[in-house]
Amino acid sequence: MKIIFKSLPATALWLIILVVPVSVVMYSCNKSFLKYSPQGSLNEAQIANNEGVNTLLIGVYGVLDGQGNGSAITGSSNWGSTSPDNAIYGSGFGGEAHGVGPVSLVPTNGYLDDKWRADYEGITRANNVLKLVQLAKDMTDAQKANVIAQAKCLRGHYYFDLKKMFNKVPWIDENTTDFYQPNTADIWPYIENDFLAAMNTLPETQPEPGRVNKWAAASYLAKAFLYQHKFDSAKTIFDQVIANGKTTAGIKYGLFAEYEDNFRPEKELESPQAVFPIEMSANVGNGTISSGNQGDILYYPITAPFGCCGGYNPSLDLANSFRTDPNGLPYLTDYNAHALVSDLGIASADPFTPDAGNLDPRVDWTAGRRALPFLDWGLHAGASMVSFGQPVTGPYNDKKLIFWQSTAKQYYDANSWAPGSAINYLVIDFADVLLMAAECEAQLGNVDQAETYVNQIRNRAANPAGWVYQYLDNSNPIAGFSSTPAANYVISPYPAGTFSAGGKQYALDAIYFERKLELSMEGHRFFDLVRWGIADQTLNAYYNYEKPLVQDLNVVPFVPGKNEYFPIPQLQIDQSVVGGKKTLTQNPGY
Amino acid sequence: MIRKMPFLLFPICLLFILCSIPVSAQVSHTIHGKVVDAATGLPIAGATVQEKGSASGTATDESGLYKLNVSANSKPVIVFSFVGYQNHEVKVGTSGVANISLEAGTSALNEIVVIAYSSEKKKDITGAVSVVNMDNLSRQPTGLVTEQLQGQASGVTVITSGQPGADPQIRIRGINTFGNNSPLFVVDGTPTQNIADLNVNNIASMQVLKDAGAASIYGSRASNGVIIITTKRGSGKVVVHYDGYYGTQLPKSGNVWNLLNPQEEANLTWIAQKNSGSATPSSPLYGNGATPILPDYITPAGAMAGSPLVDPSLYNVNPNYTDISSYNNFYRITPANKTGTDWYHEVFKQAPMQRQNISVSGGGDKGSYLFSMGYLDQKGSLINTYLKRYTVRSNAQYIVSKHIRIGENLETSISHNPTINDIPTENNFQGTSAIFFTMQISPIIPVHDIKGNYGGVYGTGLNGPNPVAIQRRTANNADVANRLLGNVYADVQFLNDFTFHTSLGGDNYSGARHSFNYPTYENAGNSTVNSFTQSSYSGFNWTWTNTLTYAKQIGQNHHLSAMLGTEAYQSKTESLTGTTQGYLSFDPNYTTLSSGSGVKTNGSGRTMESLSSAFGRIDYSFKDKYLFSGTLRRDGSSKFINYQYGWFPAVSAGWRISQENFMKNYAWITDMKIRGSWGMMGNQLNVNADNGYSTYLLNINSAYYDIAGTNNTNQSGLQVGQNGNPNARWEKDYSTNIGLDATFWNGRFNLTADYYQKDIQGLLYNPAQPGTAGLGNAPFINVAGVKNNGIDMSLTYHQNLSKKLKLDAGLILTTYHNEITQVTDQANYFWTNDQRHYGSNFIRNEVGHAIGSFYGYKITGFWNSAADIATADQAAQKETGNTTAIYQPDEAVGRFRYADLNGDQHITDSDRTFLGNPNPKFSYGLNLRLTYGQFDMSMFFYGVHGNDLWNVTKYWTDFSGYAEAKSKTALYNSWSPTHQNAKVSLPELGQYQSTNGAPNSYYIENGSYLKLKNIEIGYTFPVSLLKNIGIDRFRVYFQATNVFTVTKYSGIDPEVSGSVTDFGVDEGIYPNMRQFLGGISLSF
Repeated sequence: MKIIFKSLPATALWLIILVVPVSVVMYSCNKSFLKYSPQGSLNEAQIANNEGVNTLLIGVYGVLDGQGNGSAITGSSNWGSTSPDNAIYGSGFGGEAHGVGPVSLVPTNGYLDDKWRADYEGITRANNVLKLVQLAKDMTDAQKANVIAQAKCLRGHYYFDLKKMFNKVPWIDENTTDFYQPNTADIWPYIENDFLAAMNTLPETQPEPGRVNKWAAASYLAKAFLYQHKFDSAKTIFDQVIANGKTTAGIKYGLFAEYEDNFRPEKELESPQAVFPIEMSANVGNGTISSGNQGDILYYPITAPFGCCGGYNPSLDLANSFRTDPNGLPYLTDYNAHALVSDLGIASADPFTPDAGNLDPRVDWTAGRRALPFLDWGLHAGASMVSFGQPVTGPYNDKKLIFWQSTAKQYYDANSWAPGSAINYLVIDFADVLLMAAECEAQLGNVDQAETYVNQIRNRAANPAGWVYQYLDNSNPIAGFSSTPAANYVISPYPAGTFSAGGKQYALDAIYFERKLELSMEGHRFFDLVRWGIADQTLNAYYNYEKPLVQDLNVVPFVPGKNEYFPIPQLQIDQSVVGGKKTLTQNPGY
Repeated sequence: MIRKMPFLLFPICLLFILCSIPVSAQVSHTIHGKVVDAATGLPIAGATVQEKGSASGTATDESGLYKLNVSANSKPVIVFSFVGYQNHEVKVGTSGVANISLEAGTSALNEIVVIAYSSEKKKDITGAVSVVNMDNLSRQPTGLVTEQLQGQASGVTVITSGQPGADPQIRIRGINTFGNNSPLFVVDGTPTQNIADLNVNNIASMQVLKDAGAASIYGSRASNGVIIITTKRGSGKVVVHYDGYYGTQLPKSGNVWNLLNPQEEANLTWIAQKNSGSATPSSPLYGNGATPILPDYITPAGAMAGSPLVDPSLYNVNPNYTDISSYNNFYRITPANKTGTDWYHEVFKQAPMQRQNISVSGGGDKGSYLFSMGYLDQKGSLINTYLKRYTVRSNAQYIVSKHIRIGENLETSISHNPTINDIPTENNFQGTSAIFFTMQISPIIPVHDIKGNYGGVYGTGLNGPNPVAIQRRTANNADVANRLLGNVYADVQFLNDFTFHTSLGGDNYSGARHSFNYPTYENAGNSTVNSFTQSSYSGFNWTWTNTLTYAKQIGQNHHLSAMLGTEAYQSKTESLTGTTQGYLSFDPNYTTLSSGSGVKTNGSGRTMESLSSAFGRIDYSFKDKYLFSGTLRRDGSSKFINYQYGWFPAVSAGWRISQENFMKNYAWITDMKIRGSWGMMGNQLNVNADNGYSTYLLNINSAYYDIAGTNNTNQSGLQVGQNGNPNARWEKDYSTNIGLDATFWNGRFNLTADYYQKDIQGLLYNPAQPGTAGLGNAPFINVAGVKNNGIDMSLTYHQNLSKKLKLDAGLILTTYHNEITQVTDQANYFWTNDQRHYGSNFIRNEVGHAIGSFYGYKITGFWNSAADIATADQAAQKETGNTTAIYQPDEAVGRFRYADLNGDQHITDSDRTFLGNPNPKFSYGLNLRLTYGQFDMSMFFYGVHGNDLWNVTKYWTDFSGYAEAKSKTALYNSWSPTHQNAKVSLPELGQYQSTNGAPNSYYIENGSYLKLKNIEIGYTFPVSLLKNIGIDRFRVYFQATNVFTVTKYSGIDPEVSGSVTDFGVDEGIYPNMRQFLGGISLSF
């Protein structure tokens, strides 16, 4: 040591050689060294322009099919019809969605939280559009107005969805910065405002058929009025919609000549019924079925090529509702006394003869029944095809979700263990509009006009071109259909004057029943029953009828004053504490 | 700095090459001699011989002989030291000969312990440090060092898995965060989060820094504790050392899931259907008679032999189908396995394992080197899982001059480690684990159908995929991970008291995997698309550390040392993945991303982060009796924006009470030190790099939409990616420690005990935002808090029972008590593990409770009669004033009755309570070692006490709601009117709030266990015998692992791992296997 460090200068030299460069390097790169920019994402400044805002807007539509949060948002089945008398939730294999029916729902159910979050994700995206569109410098006022109106119409939809399910929901818009808002105020006025603004601004047609237009907003506004029993306001708008409404593609509102066309992807661009469609798509190249009815993944027959799981099956009660009397009219109250012959309890290997009585032809576009053509997939095989155990889930399969074999290549998405499909879901269908208008008319005393609307629906159903026919060759179902109807279809419109003869209540009963038949399994039933105020007696009667026949309906009774609405997700309530107080309050009874 | 890296890499490569060149010695003045054990007179091999105050040193050879070159014109003091012996210092005269006898024992306090950025004698340490006995550790036959650590260091809790290569859950002093809880590993001075690839044969020492006094100089990264690893160096003459073992692993035998045979299962189905209201039960498989009849065939369902349906000429299944229409026309014929398929043993098989390691080392006064090659091949007992690893280590040190040393430590590894996911996670709650399905799929299903294709539940009304098919289909998948971990360093001593140290360490890694997704045909829901996925990742991170140390003995009484340092860290990673569908052939030689005809998807990602730090330490001791130490560190992180820097101080002190005069009378107390520390550490591991920024991103799954109504093309859409929080700052982890180090009876007995408290404030957590804020990633905010306290203790005992018989015993005790002190301002709990099959969660992390606590309804018994229910309902109606009120949802005779905890006479969500805690009260490890002459025997016991487990397997097997395999409990110990004292509710088809439809106490079990983890018997051949054949040392040994387990837990293995906030949940884990192996250790 002494050899090297003889003197102070040598010491200094060592320090310079070793320590100084290190310190300099460490210091000089310190500032930039800790700098970071996010990778693979965009910031607000980068998207506050025409292209960015329009891409954001597509994102608002992107939540419609439920992929904002798992599979929780699509209206067709998950939340609408499952609990009531439309469908039986199959759990022979152990359902994934137990307790989804509101009557046995507890606030801690995780699906409720998913649903809540999914709708608010749609709202958040709409709010982001409304915020950023104001910053875009390369957009004309007209472009901005259209984007704003679309965002508001979609926001109205998401709030409507929340409102009908949870009733008490907090309002968040583009100006909200504190997300801990109470759910005590009624948000109907806000929903009306959004639809009204959209209706007044949106064009009648848009370049892409998937966008909302003036008439979609108008119909939704009228629906919002109807839900509040503002029949007068609703009627005014429904009249305009029925008289002048057209789809975004420019097709005048009306009904397809054949009932089943409404569920066929190849017809969707020419649909006169698509008031507010959710555009589903298959095989989009992402290797998943996230854009193709993923929320309905459990609702197919269990046999090839569907694979899973018979989880959403038409009830016996629903099938019985399609029984017609010798005049081709429904049994409005005692339909279960005229029950269909079903193969319940009969193995697929054992012989079975289907029901030979009078039937509304729509039954066979709704329920897959043993020994009848299951679209072009072959004769329905009965028990072995339905689900994991017929005693549990009943004898029928849902049919409206099923894609056809002949067009499966285009519309069936095999990217999952159970199918996805490109069959659109209509949030509002023109048939729905007609029946809502009929309700308004009947409520306002115009029962003849109501009868006209209902008969428009029934006349379409009565068109023999739109019935199910036997196969030309049962062993080769894809070869086509014969001219022999698959069952004994007898259907007629109500003879003129029936409604006025029956009176207002009769007219309403007939309208309600027609809704059940026409729109069954499409996610409306439960909310209809609630707004009609008859959920209590209807559902409890249904449970009493169905419970002894199938095992899946072990539900507690519908409790009036409680079960009209779903519980606010407990997690949301528990997470809403501000200053020691919960900002969200639970619905009554939970 | 970033751009400079290639220049810095060059010396790494150069040193790697140079290191294998032997270093020759230039002799100027030599000292030589022999080192022996004072008690036995046997030579001690590997003892360190060093000239005091100099860098030159060597080690004794296998005969205890050494040669050391010292400066010619000095009279050097030579220090002899060896683990387990007292240090010995001698002044060597001109003779140049020093034969030394080392006294065994007492040296625990004189042991050199590597601590943060330096090393110290254990007696001088004031922080809480666990020193791992490497001899005990390396005896555990697994490929992972972290797994071997179980029970070997106090304060460290390790839960292992039987899966080869599966990272164990490791915690130091409790749970410090809701996210990443893994400690910081510092390998030869290079910090890393991952030591999975490290070859244990190359590790010389391991220390665990537990409190702030010891660890907080690592500042921001020290919060979860620090484990310091030093790899081996060469010394003395050239020694070639070989270690190897070969063995076998055996899965648990017997009916591991306690399942029914097919006839019993059919009987249960009938009972369940009757209980559910079917007067005449029926099933596609068992017919519709009064009693169920087992069919001869399961597909076609229920067919009997001779039926035209089972004519083999109808059979049509092409397992490698590429066309959906071909699949639609399949005709399956599958026989029933009436005796029952033992699914567990169809996938769990006896499996071999081996490890080979060879090293060459040596050194002299110009340097030292160690070169080592290792090979590990552990087949998993679950088919097609394994860990195969090749490692090469090269450590070299060059003594450039008396004052300058330059060296490198590098290990490169190549690993192949296909695994399965047996631990449920938030997004994958039942996994795709074949193990899970061995418990789920009914035994009536055969492994194969009549033509040797896979059998399955298709069309049977049963559910669950074939686990053999799952595992077999992974056979051609492949993965590889490459890693280079190491550092280059230089030490310069200048003036008398200064040392400058610089180290550039790095971790350069990459990996790739590819897998093929076969279409299935045997399941209820089949995947009909075939696809090939290939992915790769690469990353490089480096740490550059510089320290300047000053150490000075001032007079007789004062010793002062001080250190200043800087450290910079940067990490970058990239990943790439692609999937292609539509392969015409499934030949593994054909499938590449380019050769498929269908949809192609791809994706990639990038991350980067950096840390910049400065730190210092002062140590002062007075009379070797009063010890003080203080550290301070300042850290800056790229993850923070507005508050980028944080300060992390710590102080500690020690009092060697045994040095006081009043203690001199207690001769049996050889040494005793009381110490205490306080300090603060930080943590930023969990914070993602984007945390401070609000971002938008394209998302093909959740933001794209078919706006044009094309039915097969989506337009791109944007969604919020991250909600930013630019105000996140360092969390504050306060740590207090009081400890005792003591040595009694000249080292026969050593004790180290610590009590600690850790209080983490401003814990960085990303609480779920209210739904009203949308689904963008919630940012991490400084909101939560966690507290831990506990006792760590380690005892060692050494006794020469006779001249030949020696006993060593070591007991390790670890306790921690964990409590959440705050979650957010808005909520006092959060859930983990979204258990969908209950429709609600059961792991609740709530203020005042431990992380990961189990939550649900408490079962008080069964509803034994309708009268019981009526009575309860009446009380509920009276209390609520509602005439339709009931006591409990889904109440029925034979179902569970829940406790009404809030006394409102009916059961609601608010009657749920905390049912169990998966954190153990304490865990312990006991090492025993007996040596008798040439024989040695050691045993390692490990136990965990006072933890609860949530046994999900019972959810599937004990309740009849699902058409799957069922347990003996479900049939023989379920409620019936004549068996009211049952274990489980009556068999029914549905699941209900009052059975398995809601989380309840049925699943809670005591998870305590004691395992004889390892027993080994070895024999070392006498030196006299080996000398003639040129061998220095030769030992053979036999070993058994996981010999027995004492536990009340009914599952397959009570050692159930998991993530930080979700553990102790058994959904069918990969159990630890019993292993038998034999090995040899040889050096020459």
